[in-house]
Amino acid sequence: MTAPSLDDFVALSVDLTAFGETDLLGTGLGSPYLAKLRGACGDAVVTALFAAHQAARAESAGDPDGFDRALRYRIFSDDCLGPVARNVIKLWYAGTWYGLPPEWTDSYGAQSAAQTSTVTAASYQEGLLWRAIGANPPGAKAPGFGSWAEPPRIDDRYLKGARR
Amino acid sequence: MFVKFPQGATERTDKDAAAEVLYDVVIVGAGIAGSIIAAQLSEAGKRVLILEAGPAEDLTLRGYESYLDRFYSSTSKDNQAPYPASLAAPMPRGTDTRRIAPGAPDTSAYLVQSGPLASDTTYTRVLGGTTMHWEGKTPRMLPDDFRMRTLYGEGVDWPLSYEDLAPYYAEAERVIGVSADVEDQSFLGITFDERYVYPMKGLPLSYLDRMVAKDVDGMPVELDGEQTRLRVRPFPQGRNGIPNPAYDGGNGFVPQGAVSTYQVEVGERCQGNNNCVPICPVQAKYHAGKTLTVALESGRVDLIAQAVAYRVHVDPETGRVQEIEYRRYKRPDSKAFTTVRARGRLYVLATNAVENPRLMLASGLRGSSGLMGRNFMDHAYLLTWGLLPEVAGTFRGTNCTGGISDLRGGRFRRNQAAFAVDIHNDGWGWSRGAPMTDLLDLVDNGGRYGESLRQGLVDRVSHQLLLAFMVEVPASPSNRITVDPSYTDRLGNMRPILTYAIPDYTMRGVAYARQLSKRIFARLGAEDHTDYDPNFWGYATYEGQGYEIRGGNHLAGTHMMGSDPSTSVVDADQRSWDHQNLFLVGGGSFPTVGTSNITLTIAALCRRSARAMLTQLDREQAPVQLATAGAPSHREEAGR
Ligand SMILES: Cc1cc2nc3c(=O)[nH]c(=O)nc-3n(C[C@H](O)[C@H](O)[C@H](O)COP(=O)(O)OP(=O)(O)OC[C@H]3O[C@@H](n4cnc5c(N)ncnc54)[C@H](O)[C@@H]3O)c2cc1C
Ligand code: SF4
Repeated sequence: MTAPSLDDFVALSVDLTAFGETDLLGTGLGSPYLAKLRGACGDAVVTALFAAHQAARAESAGDPDGFDRALRYRIFSDDCLGPVARNVIKLWYAGTWYGLPPEWTDSYGAQSAAQTSTVTAASYQEGLLWRAIGANPPGAKAPGFGSWAEPPRIDDRYLKGARR
Repeated sequence: MFVKFPQGATERTDKDAAAEVLYDVVIVGAGIAGSIIAAQLSEAGKRVLILEAGPAEDLTLRGYESYLDRFYSSTSKDNQAPYPASLAAPMPRGTDTRRIAPGAPDTSAYLVQSGPLASDTTYTRVLGGTTMHWEGKTPRMLPDDFRMRTLYGEGVDWPLSYEDLAPYYAEAERVIGVSADVEDQSFLGITFDERYVYPMKGLPLSYLDRMVAKDVDGMPVELDGEQTRLRVRPFPQGRNGIPNPAYDGGNGFVPQGAVSTYQVEVGERCQGNNNCVPICPVQAKYHAGKTLTVALESGRVDLIAQAVAYRVHVDPETGRVQEIEYRRYKRPDSKAFTTVRARGRLYVLATNAVENPRLMLASGLRGSSGLMGRNFMDHAYLLTWGLLPEVAGTFRGTNCTGGISDLRGGRFRRNQAAFAVDIHNDGWGWSRGAPMTDLLDLVDNGGRYGESLRQGLVDRVSHQLLLAFMVEVPASPSNRITVDPSYTDRLGNMRPILTYAIPDYTMRGVAYARQLSKRIFARLGAEDHTDYDPNFWGYATYEGQGYEIRGGNHLAGTHMMGSDPSTSVVDADQRSWDHQNLFLVGGGSFPTVGTSNITLTIAALCRRSARAMLTQLDREQAPVQLATAGAPSHREEAGR
């Protein structure tokens, strides 16, 4: 079995996070995150996750609704891959690897790096969550004096809101 | 301007040599209270020894950066996350708080809680004290707050008036470096000298504040027959903004930058990190290390860190303090310590309103009035939270820039507690752990990923509004700090025990606050998501309604000042009635807390007390003979 590749990891991450490849690689955390994922779940699971992602892509052939359904069927609803994919999303957004639920480790084995942990001090600062809400990570990347009086820099397409 | 921390100042004082010196003043605690007094006395030429329980080395930039690293890397970002836990000088941590079962005190953490209500109130035992960690709001108290008994038949009158304290408020605002505008801060009787301006101009309100103000400004409120109109108003802040050129009769103000051993680029204006609690990464926020550095630069101040005061020894004849016995630990994680003594003409306990009475009571000094440790006060916080109809850009700016201060005073105070209201720029962070909890919920339970996740985050987080009602708590003798020899820490110090219940007077204010928040949300068109969990550790009911009550970190009242020795512990100078060469300083001296965050008033009182100390030192100038023969000044001991 060949080791899971960074390219496959980034391709999956782009679809899971809705941030572009340059955004993701620009954090400098692609490799450390992949290493974290492999350490926590083992290569067999990681390879299966990447394969499921590629199969979903191939199957939906560019149709967004089909792709969404394929991801739900093949990954999010899967006992093994679902929790791992959700963890990858949280890893990118929060910079924290969250421990997998006990029912997962019971079935698929507890690896040495499976506990909740930060990856590096920088991972918190690079969390995509802050960019999604147009804010800086508290305690880092200060936006400058008085910037808080201005409207937030959130992409227009999210301003309408699906809430109401 | 950066502040140069004298190299090696935390190590240069030899504890054995210091034990042979009779200092003018021995100060216990290097927080803002102790640091202000040390700076003022040393400036007047006095020799000062400071004993500090926390580990040393913290004021160099390297030490400060290690706090930051600890904060970034810790998975729990609670408000003590940056600070090293020490078993030798432990501190309460909000995450330790548990609901208290009736009759079963919670002894699991350093602060023993016998309830009935648990509190997550906290303080930090490191060099610089709790200001390393504070948020930095610096409002003055209202003139009415000093006369609550006379005006409203509630609480206790101070032996000082607002006018007595006003010049010291101005001094405190200079020491801390406060950013605010007089026009915004003149309300409910607060007055300033005619030409007074704050050292720095007020910080701008956040976009979120302005969004709230658009609908709330002018909102009418009727209470006890009085009409008020609400207004969103900025808070004075202990963080660097734009210096006001009109300060000091046109001389201007030079902000204090970062404390460091070398020239650094940080410490200038607040950059909006939204991390003031627990730690400001650029030291734009004031912390007591800035004042401590000034004191140490005088060359007349000796500092011994890792020195935990153990016992105050008193001459049984005269009541005067003879020495302070302290335990010096070698490493924060080791059990070994050395017992040493410190002697001065005057002694100052500046360890805060929990630790001061703890030390006195552990020394067997209950006070002739029996009030030592009684009348513990804090602010009771009630949080209410909702979602605004538009994107408000929550999570930007300092933790809090504006709020509603109009109900801090009024005739209604004869019936119910007053409050100040904060608009929190960090959304539901305090009540529900936002934004991380929102992220986890959207991903784990909401099936969100990709675009739908990004949309969900904006919808859920960027619309958040949290109002924090800071409700006054009047003095009540049964709310108190005690000690018990069966509860000790690793160094053998008795741990503080807190007994705390919220008086009905406060609960009436709490209930009213909840009602008012519903009106405010309705006026804003906001969805109210407030929900109080009966299993919450601070859940309290009043007239059939339940509320989550949180601690305010504004520790006060435990050695109350007064003009009558039988009903108070210290006089208006914070001098102990029982021990004429002992001062107990800090929030513990307050007879009322009103609705001001307490630290500016602590600073003002300490500026005032330092003058009284200088007068007393001059008066008691007679040379004191030290016994040089006899017992050695220290002995080695193994810890337990
Ligand atoms: C999260 C948070 C936010 C806050 N926000 C605000 C705010 O916005 N505005 C405001 O006004 N206030 C605020 N406060 C409160 C403020 O921090 C305190 O009122 C203030 O720091 C008290 O100063 P102090 O010098 O009296 O005591 P402390 O700062 O507690 O200092 C006491 C010092 O004594 C030392 N010490 C303790 N015991 C011993 C011993 N036995 N021997 C030797 N040394 C000892 C400690 O290590 C410490 O250095 C906040 C507090 C917290 C926790
Ligand atoms: S907002 Fe940031 S820069 Fe400003 S005081 Fe707070 S932590 Fe410091």
